[in-house]
Amino acid sequence: MEFYTNALTSVLAWGPLGAMIGATLLGVLIGALPGLNPVMAIALLLPLTYSMDPLIALGMVAGIYNGSMYGGAIPAILLRIPGTPASIATTFDGFPMADRGEASKALKIACWSSAIGGIASAIALMTMGPLLARLTLFFGPAEYFWIAIFGMASVGVMVGSDPVKGIMAAVLGLLIGTMGIDNLSGQARFTFGQTWLLGGLDLVVVLVGLYALPPVLQLAEKRDLVGLSSGQLKLKSAPFEKGEIRGLIPTWLRSSGIGILVGILPGAGGNIAAFLSYNAARNASDDPASFGKGNPQGVAAAECGNNADNAASMIPALSLGIPGNVVAALVLSALTIHGLQPGPQLFHQNPILVGGFMMEMLITSVLIFALGGMVATRVFAQFQRLPGVLLVPSILILMCVGVYVINGRMVDLWVMLAAGLAGYFLEKVNVPLAPVILGMILGPMAEQSVRRALLISRGDATELLTRPLSAALAVMTLLVILWPIAKSLQRRRKAKPV
Amino acid sequence: MTIKATFTGFAAALALATPALADYPERTIELTIPAGAGGGTDTSARKLALLLEEKLGTSIAVLNVSGGGGSVGASQFMQAAPDGYSLFATWNSPLTTVPQVQDVAYSLDSFTPIASTSETAYTLCVKADFPATTGEEFLAELDANPGKYTYGNDGIGGTMQLAAERIFQAKGIEAVAIPFGGAGETLQNFLGGHVDIYGGSISTVLPYVESGEAKCPLVTSAADVPALEGASGLAALGLADKETLLWRAILGPKGMDPAIVAKLADTIEEAVNDPSYVEFLATKGEVPNVVKGDALGARLHSEFDALAEVSKGLGL
Repeated sequence: MEFYTNALTSVLAWGPLGAMIGATLLGVLIGALPGLNPVMAIALLLPLTYSMDPLIALGMVAGIYNGSMYGGAIPAILLRIPGTPASIATTFDGFPMADRGEASKALKIACWSSAIGGIASAIALMTMGPLLARLTLFFGPAEYFWIAIFGMASVGVMVGSDPVKGIMAAVLGLLIGTMGIDNLSGQARFTFGQTWLLGGLDLVVVLVGLYALPPVLQLAEKRDLVGLSSGQLKLKSAPFEKGEIRGLIPTWLRSSGIGILVGILPGAGGNIAAFLSYNAARNASDDPASFGKGNPQGVAAAECGNNADNAASMIPALSLGIPGNVVAALVLSALTIHGLQPGPQLFHQNPILVGGFMMEMLITSVLIFALGGMVATRVFAQFQRLPGVLLVPSILILMCVGVYVINGRMVDLWVMLAAGLAGYFLEKVNVPLAPVILGMILGPMAEQSVRRALLISRGDATELLTRPLSAALAVMTLLVILWPIAKSLQRRRKAKPV
Repeated sequence: MTIKATFTGFAAALALATPALADYPERTIELTIPAGAGGGTDTSARKLALLLEEKLGTSIAVLNVSGGGGSVGASQFMQAAPDGYSLFATWNSPLTTVPQVQDVAYSLDSFTPIASTSETAYTLCVKADFPATTGEEFLAELDANPGKYTYGNDGIGGTMQLAAERIFQAKGIEAVAIPFGGAGETLQNFLGGHVDIYGGSISTVLPYVESGEAKCPLVTSAADVPALEGASGLAALGLADKETLLWRAILGPKGMDPAIVAKLADTIEEAVNDPSYVEFLATKGEVPNVVKGDALGARLHSEFDALAEVSKGLGL
């Protein structure tokens, strides 16, 4: 405990506090702009930290990271454009809510859920870090394979009303995911002799095109030249009704748990956490059919899940020296620059700095309550009032800038455009887009893991099932597939008394 | 009149194309890194860029272009103008290793070598209960059990794998290579017991050697490494000529002005030997190593040839 009280006093100085407030606001903004992502902002920031008070620098990292995870929800709700890959699941119910005039309620739920997920995750980091870190070591290639399959099984929820179209979308994502250099053989696949394709298609480039362009084109189709007057935009405060918070608590608990578990596994990310949380909330619901049509539980599950991934993803980085994602890798390199050696001894080397950073992850999550609500509803939601004739070109320019700065090459803009047109036509024929992205993320993970597992077992496939943990994960996968079927059978039986 | 105008225009263009060395650099330099943000190459390059900004008196914009084990960034960079305002901060693998396994658009001649900056050895480590401790015992154990042990490495045909295979080939050893996404991922699988041997950078595994959970019998440099007391350098095992290192360098596109190359090389040498940079390198288990200009080109060519031989032997 002394560990944290000491750290707290250093964090609550003016410098770190100001850095956290500013960075959280900046993070919300970065998350809200499609194409811009926290990784870029933090990478730009870190060299400056070499000569800066590390607690100020790490406070900025924490603020940008947590703020952006929430910021992604703002355009997801208002415009159906996910600001980050992790906020795709937020569009499912967030946008239908906004569409029926409940934008401020959806934003408020997203804000609360993000803050709660972030706080739960930070507490897990502070109390159980080293313990959870050891847990991740049990996950070898065979287990990672099952996690990817488990994630894909949850696509079942995302496929919408027509399963065949949903599966087609997932297969498209899997195919795109195979492009580029194969990490296990060194062979180039589907690169057509183009060197820029060696790294495969960039997830963010495809995401921005696929998800941001169709809504923009739809806005353009409306030919809105006037926009809304201030009276038409219902942004007056949307207080929680009695019992509403209590109804969300089970979802928050469940999603926090899922987010933390996904977070501690190196390689899995906020997008998977959000999808799995959303899926779990839908499975647990009495009325799964209301999901995707503006159910507040869907927004809460997705936003809580993706923020709960954040602090937890620092656990293997800080306790083992194994960065699970790029932000964790950047934080690790910042710590090494200040003379710390990540690994089991890190907590003893400089408790003020390590404990301070954990505190900062907690404080910036709390800040989302205050700053997130204020910024989102007072400022960002006003963009909804802009006429389409202004909104469409502004979003397009932001998209292009965001995509160009990722790799600094023009060809990415063409990829974005192609993905956008594909997304537009897929939506016209009612093919859901979420399975495409999920296939792109999980396909390579499943393929590489299973091949590694088989290399290690010298080609013996039974080892995928005979290890205790992999067997348990396989059973869970089976359950997640059978659960909705069993539930709907049960409902049918109830409806038709024998 | 027209001829005169054309001529002055031409002269002006010429003056623009070859700026006087005295004026260099007069605008922002773009530094391409063929790896993602946060990795070893990225952090060393960004830290060095800060020092170079100060010494050159200009700003440096960093661009990460990852993918293909560095070949995507290298291919994109080779098309840059050789005017000194586009530089490439890389580790050796995209130049000397990747072309052995990938059909890349560039060759060593697509670049102007400027200066190398730092280097470090790779290491092979095992759990504390492994039945071998010294380098000699370790190689004997592997030799006695062909195909029994798995070792994690940084990727198929990567420098780490070739570094290990050079040693194994010389001793007729057969071990199963399991490629991972990087040293962190290898460490996770090594600590979890999913692979028997850790193969990768020293700094990543060092905390576990200090805690006694792991021991490292071998490093891939000829000389011993002070940070890893128990590890044998290759010279001690009679394999000095099988040394393979991880090293970093800054290059330009083909055809740079030699005067600008010389100025950059000297500035880089100064920056690398700056005490703050040496200290920074030490935290990552690296040491400064500056080889400039043509000598760097020779080093690249000889490493390329040696690794070509190994990968041919591996059938890659």
